[in-house]
Amino acid sequence: MLNDVGLLALIIGFVLSVYAAAAAAWGGWKGRAAWVASARNATCLVFPVLTLSVIALVSALLRLDFRLAYVADVSSQSMSPFLRATALWGGQQGSILFWAWMMAGFVGAAVLRPWKRDRELLPWVIAVAMLTTAFFVGLSLFITNPFERYWLLPGAQELTRALVAPQGAMPYVAADGDGLNPLLRHFGMIGHPPTTYLGFTGFVIPFAFAMAALITRKGHEDGWIRATRRWTLLAWMFLTVGLVLGGRWAYDVLGWGGFWGWDPVENAMLMPWLTGTAFLHSVMITEKRGMLKVWNMILIILTYALSLFGTFITRTGVIGSVHAFAKSALGPAFFLFIGLTFLGSMALLFRRLSDLRTEHELEGVVSRETAFLLQNLLFLAITFAVFWGTVFPMISELFTGTKITVGPPYFKQVVGPLFFALLVLMGLTPLLAWRRHGLRSLARTTAPLLAASLVLTVGWAYLHRLHPAAWAGLWLVSFAAVSVVAEFVKGVRARMESRREGPALALLRLVGRQRQRYGGYIVHLGVLMIALAFVGDTYFKQETQGTLSVGEELAVGGYRLVFEDLRGYAGTDGRDIVEARASLYRGDRFLATLTPRRDFFVVQEQPVTVPGVYTTAAEDIYVLLVGWEEVGLQATTFKVYLNPFINWAWVGGVIIVLGVLLSAWPAPKAFSEVSYELRPSRLDRAGSAGE
Amino acid sequence: MNTMSVSDPGTPSPPADQARPRPASRFARPTAYGLVLGLLALLAWGLVQADSGPRGSGAAPDFTLTGFDGRTVTLSALRGQVAVINFWASWCPPCREEAAYLERTWRDYQDRGVVFIGVDWSDTEKEALAYIDEFEITYLNGPDLGTRIAQDYRIQGVPETFFVDKNGQLRGVHIGPLSPPELEGRIEELLAEPEGNPPPA
Repeated sequence: MLNDVGLLALIIGFVLSVYAAAAAAWGGWKGRAAWVASARNATCLVFPVLTLSVIALVSALLRLDFRLAYVADVSSQSMSPFLRATALWGGQQGSILFWAWMMAGFVGAAVLRPWKRDRELLPWVIAVAMLTTAFFVGLSLFITNPFERYWLLPGAQELTRALVAPQGAMPYVAADGDGLNPLLRHFGMIGHPPTTYLGFTGFVIPFAFAMAALITRKGHEDGWIRATRRWTLLAWMFLTVGLVLGGRWAYDVLGWGGFWGWDPVENAMLMPWLTGTAFLHSVMITEKRGMLKVWNMILIILTYALSLFGTFITRTGVIGSVHAFAKSALGPAFFLFIGLTFLGSMALLFRRLSDLRTEHELEGVVSRETAFLLQNLLFLAITFAVFWGTVFPMISELFTGTKITVGPPYFKQVVGPLFFALLVLMGLTPLLAWRRHGLRSLARTTAPLLAASLVLTVGWAYLHRLHPAAWAGLWLVSFAAVSVVAEFVKGVRARMESRREGPALALLRLVGRQRQRYGGYIVHLGVLMIALAFVGDTYFKQETQGTLSVGEELAVGGYRLVFEDLRGYAGTDGRDIVEARASLYRGDRFLATLTPRRDFFVVQEQPVTVPGVYTTAAEDIYVLLVGWEEVGLQATTFKVYLNPFINWAWVGGVIIVLGVLLSAWPAPKAFSEVSYELRPSRLDRAGSAGE
Repeated sequence: MNTMSVSDPGTPSPPADQARPRPASRFARPTAYGLVLGLLALLAWGLVQADSGPRGSGAAPDFTLTGFDGRTVTLSALRGQVAVINFWASWCPPCREEAAYLERTWRDYQDRGVVFIGVDWSDTEKEALAYIDEFEITYLNGPDLGTRIAQDYRIQGVPETFFVDKNGQLRGVHIGPLSPPELEGRIEELLAEPEGNPPPA
């Protein structure tokens, strides 16, 4: 009964989405406000309607209603209620419905806002956004419907999946389900899909506004940018969290001691993040100086197209990866949609290119505008390099018949230096003045920061191995960090002098009044922490492997691991466990007992490696149980990694979220201080040496 | 201020002094479209290719592999024995997880009518030899030149292990690293079958 309600709601949702898109386009074209209002109402209705579908599916998952094929695929009696509910996004059909639902939510919320300004954009925002929503709801309804059942045709060996009974078939209800893939039963994989989808779908809002601005010939104004600033920030934040959670899952579950492997599926998610980050920064220049307008359009179109492309590769197996998803009929539909969207937005951009005239030219080679232009170029270069590495296997197979793979060395070598350059920019740009910055004054401002960061670097490098590239990486991170801290110090001191506030109050008021800017700096600090984790992973990692008998030990980086015991037992939710116990020492001091183990999920025939990890702020000791003999306690093989700075990646993720929340948090009217409204013609900051 | 250059709706054409003619822009549009269409064509081709997964049944594609140590093996010459074909690479972390287990099992079964063949995919000889050294692998391993064997078996990544019965029929594929007792289990099943039996439908 509830399943039928869910299916009906899905149908109604689809009809509403198509209607909203068509009505909005009609109303916008003919200038009929009534149609647009109707479309707006329809848009706001889609999310509640789809919520019924989602409730129906989640309820079926919780109740283990095995009449539904999807429930039999991803749920099982041995799974806890929490896991059953999160299995909503554990398989193809559920995750598409989930995606469509979240997109409907975003679009509905965006359209609900009071449209006092930018009213001309409304019809086209709805049209573009609802067209996309209709596509995803349509996918869920027609191609990967979660409400399908299993049927048994007489004489057939396999089950058929369909919404309605094929001629002469009997409904098939499994006694128990297959259960969620054991690799996915981890908090990282529970959080990763929702945040990633929120990130991807969130970018439909700035995209729709950008298209609307182009269509209504308002692309040269920044109304669309101001309207979407918070949406962009939010979408970007979710995408970042999705990346961090994915990395955390890879670290905990995949068991190779790292968190980023340059796998095509990872790259698929990285690329829209890169262009999205560039977009986030680039629009600041447009707001302040009316420049880089064409860049913004290119970047948002790319971000959106790459999101679609990312999910296309992930779900269709077009580019092989060590963890490719199951195949489905999604491919052609997605392909058509990506093609139409990308070609359509390109065509629109080309037609309106003449509208997007820049308001100012670049005046100085060393200036804040140049820095932003450079960051656009760098992000784009990185995106292109990653894209090339990701699709090259296909190109090679097509033209040479040889199926190759592009591995981490390519990416690290090509992308590493580009990221270095970006970090330098991150440190330098807050120091640069608008329009033109004299080189001598730049040297004067930068020198103390360079000195401070060099001191920090020497101090850190003293504690760890000396390796030239490692020094460079550490210095860069410290330079950018020192630069950010210097911004806070400068601001606080200026406030203390001019308003006679104490340092704590000054800091609070400074950050509270200028949330966009200082929130952004906090996000930068978070990014630097993640960069630090990458530096540690690339240059300071140590590893060792060995086969031990009871009482023997392995040593790495000042730590000793002593093998104590090995036992096997049956665990909960259908797994057999082989667990080793080992004691970790630093010198003679006992630190912890680690229990690396290998679980084997009997029904799915899926082994899962669970590492034993000792975590500190400075590093992780990460132990894997690699092999063992069945008889006796001889010859148990361990692999031990020493991962320095790894935990800064997770802390960095949290800091980024806090920074974005601060930056995006609406400020009460009383707080807005007029001094921050920079007007393009007079942009000298107090203390900068512009002219 | 941002309202400086608003053109009023009736005159969409840009003022003359800012319509800088850029000769390069004549090629920009066709190039951009060309690139995008090319990419779309590539994706379409990729879609068509991706509809089939790795081989799991039927006659095992024959091949001759020359090992790093010079030995050669031809699959069709192994009738009457069970063959385990393992695709690996030195740069593949999950392959390392199963390497010791594979070698151990090989040593247990090598005199019992089972042949292990390691196919090194998309790798360099130096690293492959280092990998073989590290895990002290004794069964035959050779490079898959031109990725011919990998394409015939339609692998999607490494590690993948294919099982061939005594009649040269493919009896399944295991994607991902093997762990005890999966490998012995499969081998025992295939060893127990008498030779000359037609494969089950």
